[in-house]
Amino acid sequence: MKDDTDELIARHRENVHKAPPHLVQQWHDAIDDAAALERGRVAVRQRAWTPGSLFWGMAVTAALALGVAIGVFVSDDTTPNIVPTIAHNSAQHDVVPAAFSRGLQYHLRESRQQLSALDVDADRTMLVLQLIEQNRLFESAADKNNAPNLARVLRAFEPILLRLAATDIAPEDATALKAQLTFELNVMLTKLASEPSDEAHST
Amino acid sequence: MKTLAKCFLIASALSFAANSTAQSDASRGAEELKIAAMEALITAPPDRALPLVNKVLAGDNSNELKGRALFILSQIDRPEAQETLLKFARESSGELQEEAIRMIGIGGDPGTLSALKSVYESGNSEAREAVLEALMIAGDKKAVFEIALTATGDDYEEAVDMLGVMDARDELRDLRARNGASEALIDAYAISGDFDELRKMALDGSDPGIQAQAIEAMGIVGGDEVNSTLVQIYRDATTEDIREAALDGMLISGHDEGVLELYRTTEDPALKKALLEMLVIMDSDEVWNIIDSALEGGL
Repeated sequence: MKDDTDELIARHRENVHKAPPHLVQQWHDAIDDAAALERGRVAVRQRAWTPGSLFWGMAVTAALALGVAIGVFVSDDTTPNIVPTIAHNSAQHDVVPAAFSRGLQYHLRESRQQLSALDVDADRTMLVLQLIEQNRLFESAADKNNAPNLARVLRAFEPILLRLAATDIAPEDATALKAQLTFELNVMLTKLASEPSDEAHST
Repeated sequence: MKTLAKCFLIASALSFAANSTAQSDASRGAEELKIAAMEALITAPPDRALPLVNKVLAGDNSNELKGRALFILSQIDRPEAQETLLKFARESSGELQEEAIRMIGIGGDPGTLSALKSVYESGNSEAREAVLEALMIAGDKKAVFEIALTATGDDYEEAVDMLGVMDARDELRDLRARNGASEALIDAYAISGDFDELRKMALDGSDPGIQAQAIEAMGIVGGDEVNSTLVQIYRDATTEDIREAALDGMLISGHDEGVLELYRTTEDPALKKALLEMLVIMDSDEVWNIIDSALEGGL
C-alpha cells in the first residue's frame, strides 16, 4: 500500500492545479468523436469512460460539465454574462424586446471578435466551448423573448462550433468554418440592427 | 444610401467578381468581394435580394459563395426562398445539399420542414444526418420521433441521439416502451437529463449490461439526487461491475465527497485502494489528508 501511495503522491504533485491529463485527453477524444459523428465521415473510437456511443450533444454536455470547470485552471478571463433577464411578458408576439436584441447583438459581436482572434493552429477547444456555453444561454433567452427565428439561428451555430472545437480538424477546414460563422454572424448583426424591437419591454 | 442604389452596387460587385479572370490572389479578392456583397444583401428588400441570390446560385460560383447565398435565402421570408432551398435540398449533393437542408431548419417554415421527410428517405447517410440536424435546429421533436419510429440500425440510434439533444423526454420514454432499453436510449436519457428513467434502469438488475450503462450515464445528469443514488448503488452492489459503474458515475458527476465518504466507511483494503485512486484522479481536496493518514497506517 505504501509503495502505491508514493506513486499516488507523485501523481498528485504533478497534477496540482491541473485537471488530470487523461481526463483532458478523454474529453478531447469525446469532442473529436462527436465532431466526427457530426461530420458523419469518421468512425467512432471506442472509449471506456462513457456509456457506449457518445453523440455530440453528450460530448458538449460532458465537456461543458468537465471542461468549463477545467477552464478555471486555464484562464481567469471570464466572459461577462450579459443575457438580459427579461420576463416573458411581451403582448406583441412578433416583436423582440429591445434589451434582448441589444444583448444578443453584443453576444454576436463578442463571438465574432473571439472567432477572429482564434488561432486555427492552436488548441481551440476551450475557447470554442466558452462560445458554445454563451450561445446556449442566448438560444434559451431567444426562445423566451418572442424570437424563435433567432433561436433557430443560434441553435444552428452550435454544430459548427462543435466541429471547430475538435482537435483533429485540418487547419484549412477550421479556417473555412471560421469564415462561415463570421459571415453568418455578420448577416445576423446587420439584420438585427435594421429590425424594429420592442423598447417598451427593455430593461 | 437609397435601397435601389445599394442593390445596384451589390449587383455590380457580384457581376464584377464573376467576370474577373485574374490570378489566384485576384480571384481570392474577387471571391471575398462577392461574399461581402452577399452579406450586404440582407439589407435589401426581398424583391431585390431574391433575383440576385438566385443568380449566384445558378451561376458558376464556388460552393462557399453558394452556401452563403443559401444562408441569405433562409433569412428571406418569402415562399420563393423556401422553394429554392427545397430544390437544392432535393436536387443538389454533397456540401450544398447539406447546407440547403440546414437552412431549411434555420428558416423553420412548417411546409418546407415537412418536405424534408422525403429528402431523408431518399438521401444518403450524410443527407439523413443533415435532415435530423435541421429538425433539431427547427425544434421539431415530432418529426424526429416519427423518423425514429421507422428507422433501424444506425439511423435509429442517430434519431434517438437527436431526441436526447432536443430534451424530448416523452418521445424517448415512448420509444423505450415500444422498443425496449438500449445503449442509444440510455445515452439520450443522459443527454436530456432524464434522471427518473435512468434510475429505473439503474435499479433493474434484469440486464446487468444495461444496468451498468444506466448507472454510469446518471453521472452525466449530475446533481445531489444522482450523487446520493450513486453512493447507495455502490453500497448495495453485489458485483464488481456495478460497483465500478457507480464509481465511474461519481467520477463523471464529480462527486468526490461521495467517494470520500465511501473511502472512510469501507473496511475492505482492496476497495479502499480503488477508492483512494479514484480520489486522486478526481483531484479531491481531501487527498493529502487521506494520504497522510494512509502513510501513518491509519487506513
